[in-house]
Amino acid sequence: MSSLPMAEVSEAVDTPRVQAASRPPTLVCMPVITADALHTVIDRLVTALPYGDILIASPDAPPDSHIDSPHEGQTVRTVPYPPQPAHAGWLLTSADYLAAANMARELNAGTTLLLGPEAASLSAEALHALCAAVIHGADLALPRYNVGPHEGLVNAALLYPLSRALYGVENRMPLTLDAAFSPRMAARFAVVARKASNTANDLMLWPAAEAAVASLHTREVPVGDRVLPHPDAGDLNSLLAQIAGSLFSDLEAKAAFWQRARNVTPPVLAPAAATHATAASAEDLAEVVAMAESFRNAFTNLQEIWSLVVPPQSLLALKKLSLSSPEGFAMPANLWARTVYDFVLAHRLRTINRGHLLGAFTPLYLAWVGSHVRRSDGDPAAAEQHIEETAAAFIAERPYVLARWRWPDRFNP
Amino acid sequence: MGQQISSALRQSMDRVVVMLAHFLPGLLAFFVALAVLWLIGWGLSFLLRRLLTSVRFDERVATKENSGSPANLADWSPSNSPTLLISRAVFWGCILAGLAVGISAFNASYSATPEISLFLLPYLTHATGAILLLLIGTLLARFLSRSVLIGAVNAQLHYARFLSLGVKWLVLVLTAAMALDHLQIGGTIVALAFGILFGGIVLTLALAIGLGSRDLVSRSIEKTIEKPTSAKPADVSPMNEAAEAPRPRLRHF
Repeated sequence: MSSLPMAEVSEAVDTPRVQAASRPPTLVCMPVITADALHTVIDRLVTALPYGDILIASPDAPPDSHIDSPHEGQTVRTVPYPPQPAHAGWLLTSADYLAAANMARELNAGTTLLLGPEAASLSAEALHALCAAVIHGADLALPRYNVGPHEGLVNAALLYPLSRALYGVENRMPLTLDAAFSPRMAARFAVVARKASNTANDLMLWPAAEAAVASLHTREVPVGDRVLPHPDAGDLNSLLAQIAGSLFSDLEAKAAFWQRARNVTPPVLAPAAATHATAASAEDLAEVVAMAESFRNAFTNLQEIWSLVVPPQSLLALKKLSLSSPEGFAMPANLWARTVYDFVLAHRLRTINRGHLLGAFTPLYLAWVGSHVRRSDGDPAAAEQHIEETAAAFIAERPYVLARWRWPDRFNP
Repeated sequence: MGQQISSALRQSMDRVVVMLAHFLPGLLAFFVALAVLWLIGWGLSFLLRRLLTSVRFDERVATKENSGSPANLADWSPSNSPTLLISRAVFWGCILAGLAVGISAFNASYSATPEISLFLLPYLTHATGAILLLLIGTLLARFLSRSVLIGAVNAQLHYARFLSLGVKWLVLVLTAAMALDHLQIGGTIVALAFGILFGGIVLTLALAIGLGSRDLVSRSIEKTIEKPTSAKPADVSPMNEAAEAPRPRLRHF
């Protein structure tokens, strides 16, 4: 997946101008936000999309009201929001995708831009880049935000490596907060989201995975900085269980797709310079010490449960990790990859209750976080290197999960 | 004298043989009834399993259920298969019916003591209820102890295993007391012993939790007093909960 630099995108959108008149409108689905934030977003949209009509669906704006545009011939107006639970969560849910897809079909929108909470922090260039990617042929444009070395850790540890290894999607933030998509992708979302809401399963939808399964073109677009919204409620355990459970269920549902052999491009890793040990800051070291201690406690108490999920050699490696010093606390990337795959399989086979399985997964994830903190030491380049090594390990261990998925009893611990 | 002894013995032997002659047909009727119902149960369970497998009952149940809910039928079924659960329930239901029919048949053919079925049938139902209680209680104890263990570990409690064992034994003791009460065994002795044991376990757990988490409670109260309008925290690392940094260093989402 590639992304065009902003300048090339601008020039491509600007010409030929005569086509702007016949371009279908752009539908923008807004979350529940304050009036000031709404005006800010609308101003930026008008700046970002100078050609073609803009339809804005917002739970907070009165429907069918016209907004002045400085661009000649452009119509900007609000449209009624569907009568269903408002787009108010911290994540985009299948109901949000369904509502956006239905509106896009009814309004014949050429590009649909679905924005999440804190959308006012997106710049006009970011909004422009997302829409331009779809105009230029992508069915789905997903943003790549500038995140710090200690931000978006669930994406870095679990969602991105799994999506890349199994779906072949190079999207750094599968748990996306915003998305732009074409009518074809909207039709796909409508079908999938309607099925998800009927089965009373969890309400999350994985857009990159859906695009991959439908053989639609996905593009990742750098959008710069964005304020990441805080989760509404719940602690790390419940949120991680919800998100990991949703992803594992999605993997199970799409097993026929990712079981087929395909060339998955491993990430390009920087030379071995990134593996040198740096002196960790006092704060980071204190953090790692605490995480190492909590992992030791978790191993002591949960090894019987983990032994039902992971094979003996992985359990032995986890035991060695629990006994290591904070300075040497590092979960090998291949161990983390195999452990995640084992949990995916256990989720499918219901080896133990799924709630218990996902609860027992949290300390292992925090062990990866501890390793990441120790390895990166606040350096964004080192953090990025570690994340790409993790993704490469997931790709390298792909045959392991394929074999275990097909013959689960043969490797049953 | 010898003739009287041998005559008495011969008469006793005759009485026992006659009693056995009356008893054996009833016993045979009991086993025949049990065998017939066993065959019927096996046949019904086989047909039901084939039927449910052909309509993909397990997959339909799995798609309808919420993956994280503790009330998932698949999680409580043997081999996580609701089909197997239903077929086995039908089989054992037929076995129980066979036992009931067998006891009635035994009573009908052995007319010397007609009160046997009046005594055995209710006790059979009580015994079945007690066995079901024990089964459900054991499953519940395992589920709850594991839930408490995982929750306590994720909450960074060092006495997680102790807490989990306490919960498990609480539920098992309660189940055993209920089963014995259902069978009407022991009476007040069982009730008293249960009360003492249960109360002791609860007191021990309360002391352990209270003494072990007093630092956490005092820190929580101090935070509430000093910062009544603090901002909503982001996702923090476990040890950052007690930190006074205005911005969390780790963001998981």
